[in-house]
Amino acid sequence: MNRLLLAFLALAAIALPAAAQPLPPVPLPEPEPETAPSPSPSPAPSPAPSPAPSPAPSPAPSPSPSPIPSKPWSEPPPPPPSPEPEIGLPTVLASPTGRLLPAAIIYSRSSLDTSGGLASDLRVGLGDVAEFGVELTDLVRARESAAAAPHRLAPYLAATFKMGLAEHRLFTGQPALALGFRKSFEHEIDGRATRIAELYLVGTKRLGDSVELHGGGVFWDASIRDADGAGNGAAAEDFLHDHGVRRQLRGFGGLGLRALADAQILVDLYWVPEFCYECTDRQIRLKALLSWGVRYDITRSIKLDSGVRVPDITAADLLDAQIFGQVTFLHRGLRRAVDHLR
Amino acid sequence: MRSAVIALCLAAASAARADGAAPADRDPPRRRDASWAELYGGRFRSSRLFSMPVADVVGAYQISLGGDYSLLQETGVLSSAGALAVGFGDIAQLEYRHTAAISIGQTTAPVPAVGVQLKVPLPERRYLPSWAVAFRLGVPRRERFGAMSVDEAVTDLYLVARLRLGAVTLHGGARVSAARIDVVDDGPGFHADRRLVLPTVGAELAMTSEARLVAEIGLAPQFRFDPDAPATPRIHPGGLGRLGVRWFLHPALCVDASLGYQVEVAGAQAVDRPSAVVQWDIRLGGEVFVPWGALACRAVGIFCE
Repeated sequence: MNRLLLAFLALAAIALPAAAQPLPPVPLPEPEPETAPSPSPSPAPSPAPSPAPSPAPSPAPSPSPSPIPSKPWSEPPPPPPSPEPEIGLPTVLASPTGRLLPAAIIYSRSSLDTSGGLASDLRVGLGDVAEFGVELTDLVRARESAAAAPHRLAPYLAATFKMGLAEHRLFTGQPALALGFRKSFEHEIDGRATRIAELYLVGTKRLGDSVELHGGGVFWDASIRDADGAGNGAAAEDFLHDHGVRRQLRGFGGLGLRALADAQILVDLYWVPEFCYECTDRQIRLKALLSWGVRYDITRSIKLDSGVRVPDITAADLLDAQIFGQVTFLHRGLRRAVDHLR
Repeated sequence: MRSAVIALCLAAASAARADGAAPADRDPPRRRDASWAELYGGRFRSSRLFSMPVADVVGAYQISLGGDYSLLQETGVLSSAGALAVGFGDIAQLEYRHTAAISIGQTTAPVPAVGVQLKVPLPERRYLPSWAVAFRLGVPRRERFGAMSVDEAVTDLYLVARLRLGAVTLHGGARVSAARIDVVDDGPGFHADRRLVLPTVGAELAMTSEARLVAEIGLAPQFRFDPDAPATPRIHPGGLGRLGVRWFLHPALCVDASLGYQVEVAGAQAVDRPSAVVQWDIRLGGEVFVPWGALACRAVGIFCE
């Protein structure tokens, strides 16, 4: 009796610490296709093979207590939920990307800069193929005359509609493509009413795990109208499209480099119209906007960007450069509501 | 170049999912014991792209209510267009809608019309188009400029066809429009009318089971009259185009978003080109389907199968 008790205690002394440890890697027999058929034609075996019908991996049939508890083998933990795919953001820093928001995902971005600019962008994904949004931009500027310093026209309210194709949709290697249109409401200040609109086609291509390239063309248009009749020699109304397609069409691009798992280095070049109230030849010109900075992924739904923006690189005026910060939120509540509705 | 475009279109068609319609394949059941999921999980059909009618009707015992809006087309003015369609049997519908026309204010004016649309009851075959005929009786739309009133009305006869090619659906047709404008003031007033034949084409590409890319382009009657310099008004064809997406949030609820191009719009110069993108607009709208027959059956036991 004592021997039996001692043997039981010895077994318990071995089994209990073992049960408290992670399971040692026990060599399992290779799953045979006949006994464990996989619904997928993939030859790779499933990482979590069904335990019940599998051949006995250990001398489990023995009713005697085993140093390896059998419960974990008979009831494996449920597989972790598949991670949601990363959401590609619709803008680099200032320029658009070829990415589209997934259906019913709400995107909001708010930014401020050292020159007092405030901007906001709110969008929603439509059916995985389009997105619609409204924004307040602080990038549009105006100057009284060609010699005067430019000042910001803000808040400038605009609406955006963008549609496109996800990466690899048509064929392997196809970049993400998007056709976007943005148009502002009329902005009236200082007796001038201005509007802007842009139509762009942009592609985004991921190279490896850490590099993303963006490139495309933008077709700008804008108008300025003398709202109170004090034109001072300038035309009563001027349209950018009256000066030829060559003055409307520009190329742009961007680069994203994932330096760390949660941080990206971003650079982009974009174009923004600038108005000149008293210029007599052309009252609207496109100015090249260069931005660079870092995007830090605080969580999967919150991103923080910071960097430097040069509103007119042809002027080479670093005193005009701005340091900006912007925070982006991705909301999935509407997506869940739509899924629930279905 | 042309072959590349064709190859791209075919690749897009093959990449897109074939089923762009509502997920269920039958009408909502008209039974007293039907669940809400059955009522609103059924098949709903739209009888339009964005503004172009298609060779479909909403179906028996159903109502469709839709519209779209833009604040961008003319600054500060909400331009809108809507449609209400009531299905009668599987091949007819009565409708009240704002038919596409370009008003003297140079906006895409919602000129109201009441009408009936009939789907030609031919069996659906592969590569055989479906046909529909729509008649819309124009209701005068009145604008006032001081003591002057301007009435615009458009009566249409549409013939439209639809051809399904996998994920791509092509639509085409013609619209015979009788447009009329009457200017009434203290004097003798002005009047003009004109009959126009206006082609229209459209295409749908089913991208997912819930979303379709839609493009349509066509001509619409355009009224020309300047209230500040009254003279005999004129009526011309004007071009309209839309490119966008129709997204079915739910089988009975669709969200539309599109960008629109109009040859001449508010504030535009006399002759504008497509490069004048500052005159384009973004429209947002939707369509909701109500299975009124099934609802009435469930509620009070009438119109049941």
